[in-house]
Amino acid sequence: MIDAFSYLFMSWLQPELLALTAIGTCAGIYIGAIPGLSVTMAVSILISFTFGWQVNHALALMNGIFMGGVYGGSRTAILLNIPGAPAAIATALDGYPLAKKGEAGNAIGLSTVMSVLGGFIGIIVLALAAPTVSEFAIKFQPRDYMLLAVMGILLVGSLSGESLAKGIFAGALGMLLGTVGLDPMTAEQRFTFGSVELMNGISPVALMIGLFGVSEALNQLHSLHLPAIRQRVDKIIPSLADVKKYLPLSLQTSAIGVFIGALPGTGGDIAALMAYDHAKRVTKEPEVPFGEGAKEGLVAPETANNAAVGGAYIPMLTLGIPGDAVTAIIIGALFIHGLNPGPLLLVQKPDMFWFTVGNLTLANIFLLIFGLTGIRIFTRIIECPKGVLLPLILLLSVVGAYSINNSVSDVWWMLGFGVLGYFMKFYGYQVGPVVLGIILSRLMDDNWRRAIISERDSVSDFFFNMLASPLSATLFAAIVLILISQTPFWKKFRAGGSAVPKNG
Amino acid sequence: MKNQKTRRPGEVVFNAVLFAFSLFIFWQAYGISGFSSLSSAGTFPLAMSGIMIVTAASVLFRSMRLSVPQGGFAAFRREVLPPVVLIFSLFILAYSMAMKSLGFLAASFVFLLASIWFLERGRFSRALLLSIVSIVGVYIVFRLIFQVVLPEGIIPERAIAAAIGDFLKGGAKP
Repeated sequence: MIDAFSYLFMSWLQPELLALTAIGTCAGIYIGAIPGLSVTMAVSILISFTFGWQVNHALALMNGIFMGGVYGGSRTAILLNIPGAPAAIATALDGYPLAKKGEAGNAIGLSTVMSVLGGFIGIIVLALAAPTVSEFAIKFQPRDYMLLAVMGILLVGSLSGESLAKGIFAGALGMLLGTVGLDPMTAEQRFTFGSVELMNGISPVALMIGLFGVSEALNQLHSLHLPAIRQRVDKIIPSLADVKKYLPLSLQTSAIGVFIGALPGTGGDIAALMAYDHAKRVTKEPEVPFGEGAKEGLVAPETANNAAVGGAYIPMLTLGIPGDAVTAIIIGALFIHGLNPGPLLLVQKPDMFWFTVGNLTLANIFLLIFGLTGIRIFTRIIECPKGVLLPLILLLSVVGAYSINNSVSDVWWMLGFGVLGYFMKFYGYQVGPVVLGIILSRLMDDNWRRAIISERDSVSDFFFNMLASPLSATLFAAIVLILISQTPFWKKFRAGGSAVPKNG
Repeated sequence: MKNQKTRRPGEVVFNAVLFAFSLFIFWQAYGISGFSSLSSAGTFPLAMSGIMIVTAASVLFRSMRLSVPQGGFAAFRREVLPPVVLIFSLFILAYSMAMKSLGFLAASFVFLLASIWFLERGRFSRALLLSIVSIVGVYIVFRLIFQVVLPEGIIPERAIAAAIGDFLKGGAKP
């Protein structure tokens, strides 16, 4: 117990870690806020620069960026009606109308306080639930891991894209890319085409930088010259009455956020949209109608997306299955640092877990500090022209890819995936499932083979035992439900009810 | 993007390429260990490429049923690959090729200068100033703080850094 406490406050007491967390959070706010920069982009580029560091240092920086970035998107959503990050799409719906009424400062203040509140709830749930989940996870069989991974890919594919088929295609492509190289079990060559370089496989980091950095930058070229809009910003600190008034709603939406965040594959963007939908349903008589500056429409997505951060760490630390795209990248970083996230992580390295919890809490406190200050400088910085920003992103992407192995071939891979990602996005394919796929590929492949070997290659036994085990059967049922919910039949059936808005 | 009636320019071609790629990969996956056993090295790749074939086929089929976009190849060039994207991509390509021989500093500087000047269409002096500031910032953060090893190339940065270090040390002594 004392040990746990010392790890919990490790990043509070060591000046270096404290500074890295502060820098990460502050940088995260700007990264999240500047349209064209995203947390996934920043964290994937950062992996390649930080793998020489101690793992805690690297984590402190990434945690800060994650926490700050999820919040940062709300600022540009409120001020410019451009969500700086996908998690802030719902925030713009009511945040921008508030700013147009001259209440931008008030809106930013309220969203800051609510984000921090949501963040804390997410962290508390992480601290309480993860040890239990982890104990439970030790009983997981290979089959269950496989099912969980399938569920994660399906959730990302179905909730965030244009169509389920495109989402599944992207996920399968990612998993296939993950199998390139020598098979870890039998050392047979897979898709190496006789090339020695391919035997080591495709670097997931190069893939991530390509898909999140290069393709996004190329996409941004389409909207190079958008005029900047200026808003009057004053009186940031929200009134206590406002905070009190929206507390019950914010607790509900935080719960939604944690839950969605904890589901494998789904993160803050989906949590925020679901929470917005929830707020619309439970608020019977809003002072101002939704979409015209209702504060409920601001509070709900902002609490949910930050609560989802804590939630996303739960499956990542206990099962080795990322909760969303950012945690997928962080898992990549942990692998590089020689750690193996999974049910044994909490037993073997409790320090890692408590460090993460303490560090996220610290990042959340910094979020409150940076969120309520420095707004004037902020409005200057986000006016940074894209013509300067995009070359810099490309420069960092190239340098980042190069420094993974000090080799130019990773740069070519990255550029190739960048071009692929550019076309995929244009034609309505999501790139998130590809990244999740390459991270989960090894886990799925290994666990499928372990599961089927233990059934002596009999598919009927596999299915029979799957349906006999309560856990596997539940997971299987969830997968079937996700698939059915995407069929035209089901959509017609539900057409009468209120549909959840999706980001297109 | 939802409920689109007409397909985007080039959409069918892209989906067809993905479908053909899936077929090719399926054939390659079959080559790993055939249909020998359910736990062989090739099973998982076979399953994944199979899923890719089915989903790519369904996407392709659906996109073919949408009405044909107006404008033909000109629309493709305008909407999908406008000149700014093409030219900037060529800059990136040239930069990646030059980084090894010219070195990080020289190549990055030329890349930043050329692309900021091109994208901003502003004054050359402004682009020059912005690139110098950016490159110094990037160098300090990544080379000096993060200690990332970058190709040195034609500018002997280590020698210069050492000389500056010596000079500062020398200057500190009375």
